[in-house]
Amino acid sequence: MTAPGTPHGEPVSVAGAAELGGHAFLRGMPDAYVAVLARACRGTAARAGHRFFEEGGTADRFWLIVSGHVALDVSAPGRSRLIVETLGKGDLLGLSWLVPPYEWQFGATAVQDTMAFELNALAVRAACEGDPGLGYELLRRVMPAASSRLHAARIRMLDLYAAAGQAGDGP
Amino acid sequence: MTAPTLPARYRVAERRGETHDTVTLALQPVDQPIPAHQPGQFTMMYAPGIGEVPISISGTGPGAGLVQTVRAVGAVTRALCAAGQGQMIGLRGPYGTHWEVDRAAGGDLLIVAGGIGLAPLREALLAALGNGARYRRVVVLIGARSPAELVFGQELGGWRRGGAEVEVTVDQAMEGWAGHVGVVTQLLGYADIDPARTTALICGPEVMMRLTARELRALGVPAARIRVSLERNMRCGVAECGHCQLGPLLLCRDGPVISYDVAAPLLAIREL
Amino acid sequence: MEDAIQPGSTALMEATALDQLFASLHDAGYAVIGPTVRDGAIVLDELGAASDLPFGWGVQLEPGGYRLRRRADSAAFGHSAGPQSWKQFLHPPREKLWSARLADGAFEIGADEDAAPPRLAFFGVRPCDLRAIEIQDQVLGSGSGNSRYAARRDAVLIVAVNCTEPGETCFCASMGTGPGAGPGYDLALTELVTGDRHDFLVDVGTPAGASVLAAVPHAPAAAGTVDGARAAVADAAQHMGRSMPAAGLHELMAGSHDAARWDDVASRCLTCGNCTLACPTCFCTSVEDVTDLSGDHAERWQHWASCFDLDFSHLHGGPVRVSAQSRYRQWLTHKLGTWHDQFGSSGCVGCGRCIVWCPVGIDITEEVAALQAEAQQTESGRTP
Repeated sequence: MTAPGTPHGEPVSVAGAAELGGHAFLRGMPDAYVAVLARACRGTAARAGHRFFEEGGTADRFWLIVSGHVALDVSAPGRSRLIVETLGKGDLLGLSWLVPPYEWQFGATAVQDTMAFELNALAVRAACEGDPGLGYELLRRVMPAASSRLHAARIRMLDLYAAAGQAGDGP
Repeated sequence: MTAPTLPARYRVAERRGETHDTVTLALQPVDQPIPAHQPGQFTMMYAPGIGEVPISISGTGPGAGLVQTVRAVGAVTRALCAAGQGQMIGLRGPYGTHWEVDRAAGGDLLIVAGGIGLAPLREALLAALGNGARYRRVVVLIGARSPAELVFGQELGGWRRGGAEVEVTVDQAMEGWAGHVGVVTQLLGYADIDPARTTALICGPEVMMRLTARELRALGVPAARIRVSLERNMRCGVAECGHCQLGPLLLCRDGPVISYDVAAPLLAIREL
Repeated sequence: MEDAIQPGSTALMEATALDQLFASLHDAGYAVIGPTVRDGAIVLDELGAASDLPFGWGVQLEPGGYRLRRRADSAAFGHSAGPQSWKQFLHPPREKLWSARLADGAFEIGADEDAAPPRLAFFGVRPCDLRAIEIQDQVLGSGSGNSRYAARRDAVLIVAVNCTEPGETCFCASMGTGPGAGPGYDLALTELVTGDRHDFLVDVGTPAGASVLAAVPHAPAAAGTVDGARAAVADAAQHMGRSMPAAGLHELMAGSHDAARWDDVASRCLTCGNCTLACPTCFCTSVEDVTDLSGDHAERWQHWASCFDLDFSHLHGGPVRVSAQSRYRQWLTHKLGTWHDQFGSSGCVGCGRCIVWCPVGIDITEEVAALQAEAQQTESGRTP
């Protein structure tokens, strides 16, 4: 990727297949498939504060984060945005582009200046329809990411750090 | 016939509230101090007239002073957390195995702490930073319930200046929190550890330790280079009351710090 | 009595000389603790005279059953597996550890006011119980904590009694702890009751034992008598009511955590903890800090605890071992398995008390046999 981008997350360049293939998320993906994705991809640099998407918006893009820090959030009346999870280097930003009706479930903000590959979801979905092999390669990477976040969410719900008594101490 | 199992008297020199239910006490000996300890060991802390609980030592003070961090979850710990400056409490120990920080020298030290589990690890971290040249990287990953429940929060800057890479994540964010939100194992992905050179010290709720160790194993860190600090009900601290058994181990004597290759099969047995 | 009585020598003593043996023990400063009949059982208590011994009393033992019975002879030691063991004297059920004065945010532990432990002669220690004392010496007497145990132990003189008639629930032979006494006694008696004669063959174990025996009428033991006594003891090993596998208990326990048998025993076990009370090696304790009403005076007391209690494994708001199955498994796998890892030997001496005094009659020899069978079945199920 080339130089820092413009203030509000404009694309900086068309990402080459070689660069894209080097991203941790796509490790091991056959070059031919990386090339397909590269045609639907561009590099983007987002300043801190940039809103990648809003809850309810059309999920027509997704990102592979190269550096930086992104927060997923929900809005509630009377409260500022509630952060549900943060993502960083190596992470996939966006899952709803794969799940009908393709609407964002959360909002996303760059907490720090963030560099990422931005991919065109419609183009990628169409390419997968045309080549299930590409679809499979993508899904077998998306699934572990989603599973890991589901697992983490379940663990957080257990509230393990809450006080429940200490060894040997009476009630 | 004086027994070595009498509590030694210590006075609270300073009391610092860490969170709404956790207090750090800086203690000074009144009479003879207890013998010198190693990071990871614990004492049986005595709240006069109420009882004792095992608490890992979280630091040292001037002279023969000790620092212990206590979370108020029952009668004894509530009394200890309420102890004011000048008040006397008792300590027996030090007991148990230690983190063996020196054995990790020459490689990378990874410290993963969940909640109050940071207290037993603090001395290991300070020891490593004190011997900075002996480690290539010192990485500290901290998980807390929320930003308000982070212990030693005011020390993180100092640790970073001392050469540690410190990352904090919370289960639940609060307004104004600009850090990570997620479970502490998610921080491993960003830490880029080198499994061949890493020794990992983990302390926190047992579920958190199991999951973190599993994640480290998946990354290729050998089980023998992962150490966890386990706990069970303790009464005597000297391997004579039978309470702290975990299978073949007596945690007051063979633990609390256990190598994960020993701990893993035991932690897998329900109700052991 | 000019013969040199010394450790390793033997002598023959008539039963009528028991009173003088008691006198000799009293003169040496010992209170005599031994078996006596009370409340339908043979219990351990201070004996004033030899006549307090349970002459002519035997027992009928079975899982969950204990009955006194009249013997055809007048043997004093023709019984076993009473409800108590010697641990109540060496490792008391309740004991004050220390007391302290509390005032003005400070405390001060009082000077040790304890008198020297009483000098006790344990009279009639079966070989299994002798081994049990040795096991508790290892657990409680060798560490830095329990100088109280060591002091009590040093004040004890042991008169062991070899077994010639195993009880129905005994299995000391297969545990390697009897029926002959191992080392550790000051004196060891073998009771010989034949027709009109009632004698004791005495083995001298220590100089203290020799000194006690010196004041008691005795005669050299004829070789035939000695041989006969040894043979009677050896023969007892062939008549054990039960047995444990000769080897492999440690491994069997270590591999048994998922065994289905635990559910089976749990359906019977009441988790009453009788076994831990009756067992001569169970040593677990808990401590209790108490204050008086004014709050000025605090005491720490130690008392027996049982791993069958729910609060034994209390951690973070609840017990680790909730189910009866897990608590029974803990007790048995500790006794027969992890005791080796922790203390270097088995924790079981084959006395059979846990079998007798279990209200539902759980028999650990039967449980082990079942676990072994299940392990073998699992193993053979694996091999093609």
